[in-house]
Amino acid sequence: MKAFFALPLLIAPLSAATIDFNRDVRPILSDTCFKCHGPGENKGDLRLDDREDALDAGVLSPGDVAKSEVVRRLISTDPDEIMPPPEANKVLTPEQIETLKNWIAEGAKYDDHWSFVPPVADDKIQSPDHFIDEALTKVGLEPMPEADRRTLIRRVTLDLTGLPPTPGEVEAFVADSSPEAYEKLVNRLLASPAYGERMALAWMDAARYGDTSVMHADGPRDMWPWRDWVIKAYNDNMPFDQFTVEQIAGDLLPDATVSQKVASGFNRNHATSDEGGAFPEELRVEYVADRVQTTANVWMGLTMECAQCHDHKYDPISMKEYYQFFAYFNNTTDPGMQTRNGNQSPVVEVPDEAREQRLAELHQAMEAAKQKAESHRAGVAQSPAYLAWLQEESEKARKAPADRQPDGLTHWFPMAGSEKEFQEGVSGATVAKEKGNFETSMREGDQALKLNGKTSYKVEAPVAIEFDRPFTLAAWVKPSGKASGAILSKMDDQAAYRGFDLWMEGGRIGTHIIHQWESNALKVVSRPALKPEVWQHVVLTYDGQRKAAGVKIYLDGKEVPHDVQADSLGATIATSQPLRLGARSTGSGWTGELDEVRLYDRALTRGEVSAVAGGDPVTAILARADDQRSKSDREVLVTRYLGTGDKVYKGLLAEQEKLTQQTAALQKKPVTSMIMQDNPPNKMRQTYILDRGAYDSPKKDEVIQPGVPAALPPLPEDAPPNRLGLARWLVQPDHPLTARVAVNRYWMMLFGDGLVKTVGDFGSQGTPPSHPNLLDWLARDFVKSGWDVKGMMKKLVMTKAYRRSSRIESLHREKDAENKLLARAPRFRLQGEFIRDQALAVSGLLNREIGGPGVKPYQPANIWNEVSLNGGLRYRQDSGDKLYRRSMYTYWKRSAPMPNMLIFDAPSREKCVIQRQRTNTPLQALVTLNDPQFLEAARALAQRLLKSDRSGSAARIDLCYQLAVSRPATEREREILTRLLDKNLAAFRENPEDAAKFLAVGKSPRDETLDPAEHAAWMVVAQTVLNLDESLTRN
Amino acid sequence: MDPSTYQALVESRRSFLLKTGGGLGATALSTLLNPGLIGSAMGSEMQSYGGLPDLPHFPGKAKRIIYLFMSGGPSHIDLFDYKPIQRKLHGTELPDSVRQGQRLTGMSSGQKSFPCVAPMFEFAKYGKHQTWVNKDLLPHTAGIVDKITIIKSLHTEAVNHDPAITYINTGAQQQGKPSMGAWLSYGLGTMNQNMPGYIVMISRGRGQLQALYDRLWGSGFLPSKHQGVKLRSAGEPVLYLKNPEGFDRAARRVQLDSLKELNGLHHDRFADPEIQARISQYEMAYRMQAEVPGLMDISGEPDHIKESYGPQLDQPGSFARNCLLARRMAEKGVRYIQLFHRGWDQHGSLPSKIRQQCEDIDQPAAALINDLDQRGMLEDTLVVFGGEFGRTIYSQGKLTKDNHGRDHHGRCFTMWMAGAGVKRGFEYGKTDDHSYNIVENPVHIRDLNATILDRLGIDHTKLTFKYQGLDQRLTGVEEAHVVKDILA
Repeated sequence: MKAFFALPLLIAPLSAATIDFNRDVRPILSDTCFKCHGPGENKGDLRLDDREDALDAGVLSPGDVAKSEVVRRLISTDPDEIMPPPEANKVLTPEQIETLKNWIAEGAKYDDHWSFVPPVADDKIQSPDHFIDEALTKVGLEPMPEADRRTLIRRVTLDLTGLPPTPGEVEAFVADSSPEAYEKLVNRLLASPAYGERMALAWMDAARYGDTSVMHADGPRDMWPWRDWVIKAYNDNMPFDQFTVEQIAGDLLPDATVSQKVASGFNRNHATSDEGGAFPEELRVEYVADRVQTTANVWMGLTMECAQCHDHKYDPISMKEYYQFFAYFNNTTDPGMQTRNGNQSPVVEVPDEAREQRLAELHQAMEAAKQKAESHRAGVAQSPAYLAWLQEESEKARKAPADRQPDGLTHWFPMAGSEKEFQEGVSGATVAKEKGNFETSMREGDQALKLNGKTSYKVEAPVAIEFDRPFTLAAWVKPSGKASGAILSKMDDQAAYRGFDLWMEGGRIGTHIIHQWESNALKVVSRPALKPEVWQHVVLTYDGQRKAAGVKIYLDGKEVPHDVQADSLGATIATSQPLRLGARSTGSGWTGELDEVRLYDRALTRGEVSAVAGGDPVTAILARADDQRSKSDREVLVTRYLGTGDKVYKGLLAEQEKLTQQTAALQKKPVTSMIMQDNPPNKMRQTYILDRGAYDSPKKDEVIQPGVPAALPPLPEDAPPNRLGLARWLVQPDHPLTARVAVNRYWMMLFGDGLVKTVGDFGSQGTPPSHPNLLDWLARDFVKSGWDVKGMMKKLVMTKAYRRSSRIESLHREKDAENKLLARAPRFRLQGEFIRDQALAVSGLLNREIGGPGVKPYQPANIWNEVSLNGGLRYRQDSGDKLYRRSMYTYWKRSAPMPNMLIFDAPSREKCVIQRQRTNTPLQALVTLNDPQFLEAARALAQRLLKSDRSGSAARIDLCYQLAVSRPATEREREILTRLLDKNLAAFRENPEDAAKFLAVGKSPRDETLDPAEHAAWMVVAQTVLNLDESLTRN
Repeated sequence: MDPSTYQALVESRRSFLLKTGGGLGATALSTLLNPGLIGSAMGSEMQSYGGLPDLPHFPGKAKRIIYLFMSGGPSHIDLFDYKPIQRKLHGTELPDSVRQGQRLTGMSSGQKSFPCVAPMFEFAKYGKHQTWVNKDLLPHTAGIVDKITIIKSLHTEAVNHDPAITYINTGAQQQGKPSMGAWLSYGLGTMNQNMPGYIVMISRGRGQLQALYDRLWGSGFLPSKHQGVKLRSAGEPVLYLKNPEGFDRAARRVQLDSLKELNGLHHDRFADPEIQARISQYEMAYRMQAEVPGLMDISGEPDHIKESYGPQLDQPGSFARNCLLARRMAEKGVRYIQLFHRGWDQHGSLPSKIRQQCEDIDQPAAALINDLDQRGMLEDTLVVFGGEFGRTIYSQGKLTKDNHGRDHHGRCFTMWMAGAGVKRGFEYGKTDDHSYNIVENPVHIRDLNATILDRLGIDHTKLTFKYQGLDQRLTGVEEAHVVKDILA
C-alpha cells in the first residue's frame, strides 16, 4: 500500500538540471528546518534561513558535501543526532536529501525569498503563452490543439460570467469565421453585467461576506450594499489599486463619498458577537486580528496571523511587526460587543431610490396636514369663543397667588392623560409611542411617565436648538438604579450621533451636543450621581458659546460640579431625527420615571431654575399681562384651549399621527452598511504587543506605532500613519506581493489552480510558482496597465493555453499528471453557485436582477431552528421570482448556510477563504437529483423543450443539449435518451398520478395545457442532461 | 499531509484503477463501483475507504466513536463532582482564595455577592469504587459507573458558549478549523461507503437552548466531503435523500443507467478519471438512499432493547431515539457519530431545569452503554459524554431556599468516557472543595481530544494538513498529552 503511494512516482516533471534555491531548496528547508532554525527561532544558535548565519555556525561547507554538518545530521541514524528530530514528525525523502546535497555541492547558494523581491520582466514579451510554450518545449511536450468552438464558448462564458451561453450565442460564435470572433466574444462577456457578479462572488469568499454576524446569536446584518459596491466596481473596471484603497481605507479618503465609505466595509464583514458573558475587549482584539489576517492574506498572500503570539517561524515577520500592522486596524470606533440585531455602528446610510420617493410623498402629505392644523389653530386663536375663554381664565389666574415662571418655554411635556391624549404642551403635537408599552406612574399625585429602557416616544415638533444658541433642559426624573441612557434626545446615532440629548450614565446626568462624535462634540456629565428611585429635579443650561464651560447642571435647584468629556463643538447639530423621550435613534434606552420635561430657548439663570421645578406654566402664562406673553406662550394657551374639546383639531392630529406612523415604518429600517471609522487623533487607541497574543496581556512598556514589515518596501515618505497610508503602500508599484497575488488569483479562476498553488500563502511555506517568470511578467504587466482588471482577464483568456482542448492524452498524463505545464486546458467541476445558476438559466427560470438584500430560495425545513439560539428562528422562504435569483444573492447565514451550496464546497464565510476545495461526493448527486430547486428547473426545462419550435424527440434532445452543454447531442446520446424518454413516458401514462406528483414540485406555474405524462417524461430527460458530468463541468 | 500530496494520492489511485482496468474496461468500472474490491485487489487489510495511507499510526482500540455532546455547559457540581463538605459551604461567600482573581463572565461579574450553593439534590455512592453520582437525577448513569471513567478535571480557557463549544469541537476558539469528525474522516476514511462517515444528530432539551453552528461538524479547511452529515428526525433523514414524489427507486435506477452510459461516452472524449469518479458518486448516492432509511426504522428492535432506552424512544428526534440510532449507525460502520443534546445552560432555575435535562438523557445514555456492552461493541467503540464547560459553585442571581442559577465555569468540569480500552469503573482528576479549581491531574480539552484520537490509533501530532503554511492539527500548536492513566 505504502509503496504504491510513494511519492517519487508523483513528482512533477519540472525539476531542471541545476538547483534553484527558491524552487528546489527553500521548500525543503522551510518545511523541515525553519520551525526551529528559522526567522522565529534559532535553536542551538543556528538559523538556516540565512546563509551568513548558517556558515558562521559551521554547518554548511559550500562545495563540500562530506564536510557539511547539515548533511551528516540528515543521514544520521542516531536518534539523538538525526535532523529533523523524530518528534518533529518530518522525514526527508531520499530525493530531498539528494537535492540538498546537490545544492551544497553547487555552492549552497541562497536567494532572497522570491516573493519578497520585486518582479522583473522582459517587456518585449507579448503574451503569457511565451512562458508556457517555453516550459513545454523544455520537456518536449506537444500541447493540445485549440478546443472546438462550442467547448470554448461554454468555457469562457462560464469562466467570465458564471452562466452558460445561450444556444443563439453559441451558434453565432460557431458561424463567425472572422479572426476576431473569439476576441469579440471575450469583449462581449467582459462588458456583460454578469461579469461583475462572477468576479464579486470570488471576492465574497475572500472578504468573508455574509448576511449574519456569525458568533453566538448569528443575527442579521445588512452588508449587501458593500457586495453591490464590489459588483459595480468590477463592472466599471475600477483599477485594482483604487479597488484596494477604497476597501481598506475608503472612509479615510478626503471628503469620502457614501460609496467609498461603503467600500471600507470590507473589514466589517468579519464575525462579531454580543454574547451575554463575553469580554468586549477580547472580542475587539479578535476583530482586529481578523482584519490583519484577512488583509495580509488577501492582498499579500501572507500568513501574518502566525506572528500574533510569537515571531513568524517561516517568514520574516516579527511579533513586533505584526503589532505594527495590527495598529493600523486597532484605532477603529466599532466596539467589542456588536449587536445581533442589524448593523452595528459606525454605519453609513445608503440611498434607496424607491424608499426615498415614498418618504418624500409622505413628507409632502405631512406638511399639508400640518398646514391644515396650523390654519385651524390660527382660526381658533381669532375666534370669539377662544377669546372669551382666555379672558375668563386669565382673570382667574391673576387672582390666584403668583406662580412666576420664566419665559422662553418652547417645549413642554406635562405627561398627562391617556396614551392617545399624550401631547406636547406648547404646540399640541402628538407624543407618539415608538417602541414598547405605555406605562405611567405618579409623582406627588400627578401622572408621570414610566420608561423601562425599551420604551420610547417621539414628537414631530420643530426644535430650534442649535450648537450656537442657548437652551435649557429641565425635568423631574426618578432613575432606576444606576440607569444609563437618554432621557430626552434629538440625535441621529447613525450620522456620528449628530444632535443633543439629556443623558445619564452610571446614574450621573449630563448632555451630549454633537456635530460629529467625538471629533466635533461637547459632552459634560455631573460629578455626583442621582439617587436611585427618588424623584429629583434636574436642570441643564447651555449658553450657546460652544464650550463646555457654558454648561451648568442643577440638581434640585443647586448647581453641581461636572466633568467635561468632550469639548470640541463647532458646527451644526441639526438632524431630521425627531425629539425623543426615553431613547436615541437606535437605542440607549433609559429606565426610570419622568415628568414635567421642559425646554427653553435661553439659558435660565440660577434664580429661575427652582421655579421650573414646580408650578403650572399655563397658569403662569395666563396670569401674565397679554403684552408680556411670548409667541410660544400664546401657543401654550391655544393648545390648552384646544385640549378642552375641539373635535376637528383632534381629527387633524389623528391624520398627522397616521402619516407619522407610515413614515416611521419606512424610516425604521433605513438602508445602512457598516463601515470603518477611526478615532480622532486625540483619542487614538494605543497599540501594544500582546504577550502571547492575549488581549489582557499588553506589554505596556512600549507603544507600537503603525508600520509595515522591514522585509517589504518601506512606506512612502508622505504616507499617513493610518489605513490610508497602508492601502497606498500596498499598491505602490514596487510592492513585490500585491500584483503577484492578485494576478495569481485571476489565473486560478481561469485555470483551476494558481501559478502559485498555495494561493493564500506566498511565504516560505507556500509552493513556489510553477512558472516564476510568467507570474512576474503578469504582475508587471498588471501594474503597468494601471491595474486594469478586465484587461488582465482578457489577456489570460486570449492565451492559447487557455483555449486548448482539455482532453487528457496518456502522454500528458504520464509526463505531467497534475497538468502543471498546461499542455491541455484544465477541466474541473463548476462551483456550486454556477451549477445552480446554470440550471436556472437553461430552464428559463433565472431572474437576472442584480444586487439588493439577500433572498431566501428553497431550503429544507428546520435548518435554522434546529441550531438557532433558543431554537425559534425560522427560515421564511421567499416567493415569486426571488426564488430564482443568482445563487450569490442567497441569504448567507453563516452558522447554518444554505446546505445545497455547502455540499458543493461553498465555504461558510466565517473566515477569509481564498481558494475553495473542489470535491466530488454522493451528497452532491443527491442535491442535483432531488433538491426541489433542481427538480423545478428540470420541469421548467422540459416545458421549454416541449414548447419550443422543435418537434420530435431527437430535435428536442438536441435543444436540451444545446442549452445545457452548448452542443447538439450525438446520435448515440439521442438513442440513449430517447429510450429513457419512452420508458418514462410509458410509466407515467400508466400511472398518471405519479406524473402529477412528479410535476408538482416548485412554486413556478406549469403550463397546464401540456400532457402531464409527456411533460413528466421530458422532465426526467431534462434532469438527466442537467446531471451529466459534462453539464456539471467546465470542459 | 500536504494538500497537493493528498490530491496526487487521490489522482494516482484513480489512474491505477484505470490502468488495471485497461482504460475504460468493465473491470475498472466495477471496481470503482464496488470499492470493497479495491482492498482485495491490492492485497491490503484495510477496511476503510479513503483516508491517509499512513493511518492508523498504530493499532487503535476503537473502530468508532459515539460522542454524546451536552450543549450549554452541564453543571459538574450537580451531576458528578460532588463533595459532602459543600453542604457546609452552602450559603457562604466564595472565598477570594478560591476565585484567585479569575475573570467572570459579564453575566455575573456585576454581582455583589457570590454565595456558594451545594446541589439541591441527594447524592449517593455507587459501584466498586463508591463513586458519587446524583441519585435523584442520574439513577441510570449510576448503574453504569463500573463501565465508565469519570474525568473530573477537564478544563478550558473559554467561558462563553460560542468560543467554548467551537474550541472543544474543533480545537480552536475561532471559526475556520475542521471539526474532530472531519479530521477523522480525512485521516481514516469511511468504513461503509454507502453511509456518511460522520453523522450528527441533534435533540432539544427543555431549557435555554444555546445556538449550535455548522462549524461544529464542519470541515474547515479540509475538503468538504469530510463535513458531518446531519441525520434528521423529521422529513428526510439526510438532506435531499428522498427521491421526488412520483419517481420511485426503480425509475431512478433506469435514469442512472442512462446517465452512466452518457457519462461513459463523455469519458471516451475527455479521458478524465474524474468522470469515472462522478459515476461512482452517483452510484454511492443511490445505495445510500436505500441504506439510510432502513437504519432509521427501529421497529425491528426487540422490545427489551426499546424499553431500555426509556419512554422518550417513541419520539423521533429525542435524545433516546438518537442514542438507539447511534448504536445502529455504529453497527453499520459509521466512524463518528455525534449527538448534540441542547438545553444545559442553567443560569437560573437550575434545580428544576437540570432535572428536565437529566430526564432526557440519563436512561438513554446508560442504555446505550449497556446495549453496546452486551453486543461486545464496547470493546471497540469509544463513548464520550460531556459539554463545553462546567458551572460555578456560586449562585448566579439570587439564592433562595429551593432555587438558584449557576454561571459558566471553565476551570474545571466533568466528562465521562467508556469503551475502547478506557478503564471500567474509574475516576480521574480532583477538584477542590468548591469544585472550582483542579487540584490533581488536570485534563485540558486538547488532552481529551488527543486521547480520543489515540483510541483510534492516531498520534495527534501526526494527523496534519498543511494550510496557510502550517501543519495544522486538531490539537493545535500547544502541547497536548494522551491521558494514559485512564486507559486500561
